Amino acid sequence: MMRFGRGRSLRHARLQFVLAVAAIAASVALPVILISVGGGVSAHEIANLQDAGYQIVVSAAGLHGITAAHQRSLEILSLGSVVAASPVLSVAIDAYAPSGALSPVLAEGIIPGQFGPTLSPAEKGLIPLPLALGDPTDMIHYANGTYRGTATYDVLVSSPYASIYHVTTGDQILLSPSTNRSLGIEYNVTGVFGVLPTFLGPTAGYLILMPLSDLQVMTGFGPGGTGTAYDVADTIQVAVTGSVAVNPSALQAVRDTIQSLVPLYSVTSLTQEAAQLESANSVLTGFDLALSSVGLTIGLLFLALVLLRRVESDRRSIGIRRALGLPGWSIAGTILRDGLMIALPGAVTGVLVGYLVVEALATWATSTVQEAAQLAVFDPGILGEIVLGVAGLSLLASALASRSALRLPIAEALR
Amino acid sequence: MNADGAAPHIELAGVSRTYLQGSVEEVRALQALDLEFAPGAFVSVEGPSGCGKTTLLNLLGLLDAPTEGEVRWNGRSVGALSDRERARLRLRGVGFIFQRFYLLPTLTARENVELPMRALGVPRAERARRASELLSEVGLSGRERAFPHQLSGGEEQRVAVARAVANQPGLLLADEPTGELDSAHAQGILDLVERVRRARSATLILVTHNPEVAARADRHLTMRDGKVVRDTRGA
Repeated sequence: MMRFGRGRSLRHARLQFVLAVAAIAASVALPVILISVGGGVSAHEIANLQDAGYQIVVSAAGLHGITAAHQRSLEILSLGSVVAASPVLSVAIDAYAPSGALSPVLAEGIIPGQFGPTLSPAEKGLIPLPLALGDPTDMIHYANGTYRGTATYDVLVSSPYASIYHVTTGDQILLSPSTNRSLGIEYNVTGVFGVLPTFLGPTAGYLILMPLSDLQVMTGFGPGGTGTAYDVADTIQVAVTGSVAVNPSALQAVRDTIQSLVPLYSVTSLTQEAAQLESANSVLTGFDLALSSVGLTIGLLFLALVLLRRVESDRRSIGIRRALGLPGWSIAGTILRDGLMIALPGAVTGVLVGYLVVEALATWATSTVQEAAQLAVFDPGILGEIVLGVAGLSLLASALASRSALRLPIAEALR
Repeated sequence: MNADGAAPHIELAGVSRTYLQGSVEEVRALQALDLEFAPGAFVSVEGPSGCGKTTLLNLLGLLDAPTEGEVRWNGRSVGALSDRERARLRLRGVGFIFQRFYLLPTLTARENVELPMRALGVPRAERARRASELLSEVGLSGRERAFPHQLSGGEEQRVAVARAVANQPGLLLADEPTGELDSAHAQGILDLVERVRRARSATLILVTHNPEVAARADRHLTMRDGKVVRDTRGA
């Protein structure tokens, strides 16, 4: 039951009330969507980083990448707490399926025995270990940097590629560094592996894994034009022992040691990257909130306008109250209460609308948006802060209207 | 000044009130009034429309302030009071009865009567009891939960009378309280106002156009062009 007329004045202006609630709801829904989806995607990326099977990554900018990758990996591997040092070279090449169909693929050249330990638990569930790529150390073909050893000509293909081009274990595919088929080499498909869902779309799904030496020779990153072996990789992923992985200072010490081994390359720990990503995420959240504050400001200006209009339309009632001697706080309290009765339902409705929009995107949007929406995180703390923020700002809007009400000349208001 | 709500001794010394009509034209609603109202008096104020009756009532009831001169309650100028103090004085010491009733449309009859008591901090049970008694006194038992739009004009004015005396003020100001009522209802309302005035020994200042209504008062002021042109005593 309404006590002492509470809420009745709002019921009298139902359309105004509904429109004002809708305006606040719309202005609240926007930050809810931005923050929940943005925060969810960031949290997912951070979790991916933290769940990765490697903790330190050596990388080099530019076309030539890290040279002497085999040798450097062995040096890093010789450090006490390192359990795997996996050089990876990624190059886009062309693949001719048994049917003759041509498709660009992303080839990753790896050392099979080192690559396995750097996989995350989720990846390990998708890629059969040990990798069926013949030479686990990639030292036979590499042959101390001469590349005169025997290549295995084994390749693993991703399940999307295998599915689309009807490739199965035991088939042969032709891999070529360019669309010139005559440069191609026949490889034996020795297995099929699954891939994690990715935001990059299906291109990254066309992935193949092959021995590092094979890819280096095929793409010219192995023996140089003058006979010098470049032995190039893009990155060297380093996995450390469990006790070091969870100890930031010990991990930092290992990173520093690796950096001293490869002073010309960038060496970062994923802990650092996660911290940087978290920092970037908080900046992004702040930006989202700043952007959303524009919408919120418009919503609250609308609320102030509605309340000021109500003061104008209720000037006689306000005049009567003041004539009767009701204190200013009582009149201001009525307006503040009206403001809250609009702002709070508006804020709660906005949160619900934001949630429903994200759910709808997660169900019906295009694949990339859908995947992002599915990762959305609704943090009750942040949502509560938004609702409280709106309530607080509504008090400002109400204060403006209250000031106007208390400045009404009583005699004029009663005319 | 009048914290207990007893009837005040009111003086107007050289009081004038001017309004701006548009941006330049000045209207002198009251001109240099010198008046005195003894506690417990029943005073009628008559005069044609626009002669300053309502302005006088507004000044006496602290709804407005003079542009010149001074209004004194019990010898003390009210011009120096803050808005808050004036509101407190109105709440405790003044009961208004308006021609158009001015009930709050979103409150029931009982809530309208309770409103001044609520603002004064009267406990809920006490104000509910007093509101019921007052509504009963004005003949509205059983109509407590009705909203103003569900009441007749006569009933609305009775609620307004009950509201005006809810805090037992010493000064009752009635601005043509029967102006919108038929004669039968008007008579009843006047009887009621007089009865509550006597019961509380309150001062009643009543603005009216109606000589029959004015005849009930002990003192009669006649106004014209913002001035009191006649001030007679006796019923």
